[in-house]
Amino acid sequence: MKLLLALSLAMFAVAGAADEPLAARDIIQRAMDHFRGQTSYSEMTMVINRPEWQRSMTMRAWTEGDKQTLVRVTEPRKDAGNGTLSLDGNMWTYTPKINRVIKVPSSMMNQNWMGSDFSNKDISKNTDIIDQYDHTLLEQRQQDGHTVYVIESIPHEEAAVVWGKEILVIRDDWIMLEQQFWDQDGELVKRLAASKIQEMSGRSVATVIRMSKANEADEWTELQTAEVEFDLDLPGNLFTLSSLRNPRQ
Amino acid sequence: MGGAAATVMVLAWRNLWRNYRRTLIMLAAITVGVWAMIFMAAMMRGMTDQIVENTLNTLPGEVQLHHLDYRRDPSVVNRMPAPSGPLRAALEAPPAVAWAARVRVPAVLASERDSRGVVLLGIDPSAEAALGSLPHEIIAGRFLDSVDDRGVVLGASLARRLETELGKRVVLMSQDPDNDVADRGARVVGIYKARLQGAEDVFVYSGLTATQAMLGIGTDVSEIAVTAHDYRLMGAWYQAIADVAGPGVEVLPWPQLDYFLDSMLRVQDGFSLVFMVVIFLALSFGLVNTLVMAVFERVREIGLMQALGMRPGLILAQVLVESVYLLSLGLLLGNVVAWLSIKPLESGIDISAVAQGVEMMAMGTTLYPALALQDMAMATVVVLGLGLVASLLPAWRAANLDPIQALSRN
Amino acid sequence: MNVTWLLAWRNLWRHSRRTWLTVAAMVFCNILLVFLISLQLGSYTMMIDNTLGTFSGHIQVQHEGYLDQQKMRQTVPAVTELAQTLRGQDGIAAAAARGIAFALAASEERSFGIQIVGVEPAHEPGVSTFPGLVKQGRFLSPDAGANSDEIVIGSVLAENLKVGLGDELTFLGSGRDGSFAAAVATVVGIIDTGFDEIDRSIAEVPLAWFQQVFAMGDHGHSVVIRVIDFDAVPQQVSRLEEDLAGSAELVVLDWDALQPGLRQAIASDMTSAWFMYGVLIILVAFSVLNTQLMSVLERTREFGVMLALGMGPGKLARLVGLETLMMSTIGLAIGVLLGGLLVWYLSLAGFYFPGMEEMGKRFNLPERMYPEFSLLAIMWGPVTVFLFALLAALYPALRLFGLQPVAAMRAA
Repeated sequence: MKLLLALSLAMFAVAGAADEPLAARDIIQRAMDHFRGQTSYSEMTMVINRPEWQRSMTMRAWTEGDKQTLVRVTEPRKDAGNGTLSLDGNMWTYTPKINRVIKVPSSMMNQNWMGSDFSNKDISKNTDIIDQYDHTLLEQRQQDGHTVYVIESIPHEEAAVVWGKEILVIRDDWIMLEQQFWDQDGELVKRLAASKIQEMSGRSVATVIRMSKANEADEWTELQTAEVEFDLDLPGNLFTLSSLRNPRQ
Repeated sequence: MGGAAATVMVLAWRNLWRNYRRTLIMLAAITVGVWAMIFMAAMMRGMTDQIVENTLNTLPGEVQLHHLDYRRDPSVVNRMPAPSGPLRAALEAPPAVAWAARVRVPAVLASERDSRGVVLLGIDPSAEAALGSLPHEIIAGRFLDSVDDRGVVLGASLARRLETELGKRVVLMSQDPDNDVADRGARVVGIYKARLQGAEDVFVYSGLTATQAMLGIGTDVSEIAVTAHDYRLMGAWYQAIADVAGPGVEVLPWPQLDYFLDSMLRVQDGFSLVFMVVIFLALSFGLVNTLVMAVFERVREIGLMQALGMRPGLILAQVLVESVYLLSLGLLLGNVVAWLSIKPLESGIDISAVAQGVEMMAMGTTLYPALALQDMAMATVVVLGLGLVASLLPAWRAANLDPIQALSRN
Repeated sequence: MNVTWLLAWRNLWRHSRRTWLTVAAMVFCNILLVFLISLQLGSYTMMIDNTLGTFSGHIQVQHEGYLDQQKMRQTVPAVTELAQTLRGQDGIAAAAARGIAFALAASEERSFGIQIVGVEPAHEPGVSTFPGLVKQGRFLSPDAGANSDEIVIGSVLAENLKVGLGDELTFLGSGRDGSFAAAVATVVGIIDTGFDEIDRSIAEVPLAWFQQVFAMGDHGHSVVIRVIDFDAVPQQVSRLEEDLAGSAELVVLDWDALQPGLRQAIASDMTSAWFMYGVLIILVAFSVLNTQLMSVLERTREFGVMLALGMGPGKLARLVGLETLMMSTIGLAIGVLLGGLLVWYLSLAGFYFPGMEEMGKRFNLPERMYPEFSLLAIMWGPVTVFLFALLAALYPALRLFGLQPVAAMRAA
């Protein structure tokens, strides 16, 4: 509800100040909102690529607001039924093999999420960027008929963030084209890049998102969105531990 | 009898110096032996003291207080309130010299490139300095400057593994008591080198206040360490602390905290004595030799004395007294030489040339001999005691010489 | 020359008691040194062996980089077969394959990080003392295979998770390919090593089951090797490196790489022992000095006569030197013989002093020490004594050069 209000206000603000340049922070906020919507449901395939092998998993994901995310694996069979639930920065995992919900302790938050190049922290706290950083609009340019904003985000002094800075490239339809993660020495460490932008459920959506390390060509993870629905009605008890434990969905 | 005693003593003394070269050589041998006993004892004591001190500095402290379950499960869940009232008074009562309260929990330290499991220590630097538990050496930056310092100090080896450096931000992650993630970013304000490389990889220091705030535990702490800077004494005073610590807190002296060290110490304690006895035995051959020679040379003389009426008992006494003089002189000289040679060395003998791996034994590369009166006393007792025993045989034989045969010996 | 030898020998036995006492001093010192040095060398081997024998073994074969980074996917392929092959080779006492993973063991409220080691139950006891430290229940059964969900855990871990024998333990980790690895296991044994850090986090399961749960295929993370002769480790390492030259990613690590600092810790312990030996040797040298000086002083008249008769002082000095040589040789021979016998006996029967038994039981260390019976151990001390004794004879011998025949003959 609050988010809806914020969005509406933002939209009025934009409408009213169409000629004024947008603040960097707002651009990012819009991109986040666009990505997650108020609620969302998506079906996607995650492909993990390594020099020696490649693995893929199909999964379903539900989100509500900034802080709630539920992911359920549907294929392959040996992983089917595994799920992770994030609530406000905490994460729980469930696997039918042991029929138990385990809270991911802080020591594992930096570990890979389901073996991918995303960390548990990436999945559970991906909207941290807005509050924990200071944002500056570096440039605004034209690309493929769109206006593209390039924003530099620098973490606050005591933000629980390891990066020296992040560079975000956001298109005027609020698609985040790229998110770059730089270390404190000015070297690029990893990069999240979007491609194959299509219309789905009334929005432009980047159907392929790839997270790759800057210096390893053969190691990357891709999220390929097959289907997505925004702002649908989700059951109130969806983002709970008991729901996590129930692989019916 | 008094007259006889005086005569014996004077005679014994003069006999000693009749063959002064032999006496001097024997004296020299005894002096060297006594010196060796005391020197070695001082070396061993110094080493032991150092090992214990270093180990206790890492523990830290001679006595520690924890929540009852902390040692089994060293997490934020098992913590105790900051000391106050009677407990605090007990911690500050002599002979305790210093105490420090700290937070010690498992955490993860992350940099841009890597993350590692560590032990996070939230400390009060000035209290810890008094305790002697600060890292061995700061090689970059500085240590924490106050209890409110929000920076972190890492080990050199950890900084290397994480590919981070002085001045960069790292992220500390741990759990709060509700099992939720508690994290914050912090700047690396210093890098330290520890005696044990393993310690460098594990211990991360930050200010106590900042750590308590991150974990959301108010003023609670995980551990309180106390020291009186004498590891042999804690038995007496730790009970006083235990009595006021309260039901949820366990108070333990270091032998129970580090059982291994305690076992090792006990095994070593017997060595000084054994060593002294061994040295004396090596000396005793020469001593017996000398005494036997002395008696042998004076067979005629002894025979004469017996013929003139000196009782065998007195002859025995005379030989024994000679021995006592010899031993006592040697002891005196040996003690003096030992004192003179050890005192200046007490500021340390540098053995770094041969001692690269002493770290694992918690010793530094400098040996500090520690001269103790009890070692000197023990040497004296051993030498006099065993010396008298060794002298008995020649003395006995001298006393039992047949006067006629002795007189007719050429 | 012959006469000098004969004279020297006879001089020695003219004062047989004195000679014997000095020889006895040498013999005593020699036996002591032989005993202490052998014990020291033997105890180093024991200390190293003990430390290595708990878990890391003498040698390990691992994927390159695994030692430092411990990444799940740095694996050794066909690990059980490799262990089998190595087991049969000369000089190898035991070889066991392992897989290691970090996982979360969950209790009702909390999860605890643990280290799960997949082991070969039949062979692991040959390379590690942990199986022998099971204080409740039993170790994994030797025929436990892929279907066996047995687990043995540390005592403190059992307490923290509040599980006992027969209870189930669930854990969650990442497999080799990064996928979820989760399973339920039944506790069949509880280990107590005496070290909290280990007992808090160790868990051992059958390797075959481990490979299945963590999607390892036939891979593992290391082959742990225990050799028969500790001193042959370097040769074994080179041979293994040759044998495995074909597998580019495998490295052979000796115990110094696995436990850095151990070698030096031992070396530093020797430094303190040197002081002690040095002192003993000096004392013996003094004894010899004493004896020889006395002997020379007493024979001043005799030497005066010999000098007057034309014997050169050099020859006299040689005489004294020879006496010392003979005496020292006797001391050396008897000392080495008796010392050697003592050490030989103890190297078989073992030696202990009070307090050791206690420590042994508590930490699963052997309760006896076995002195090292080797040429080095036995000869080192006595040979040094021999040399110092000869040195000690220098002073008395040199005094002879200043001897004035007439004054000497008048001496009492």
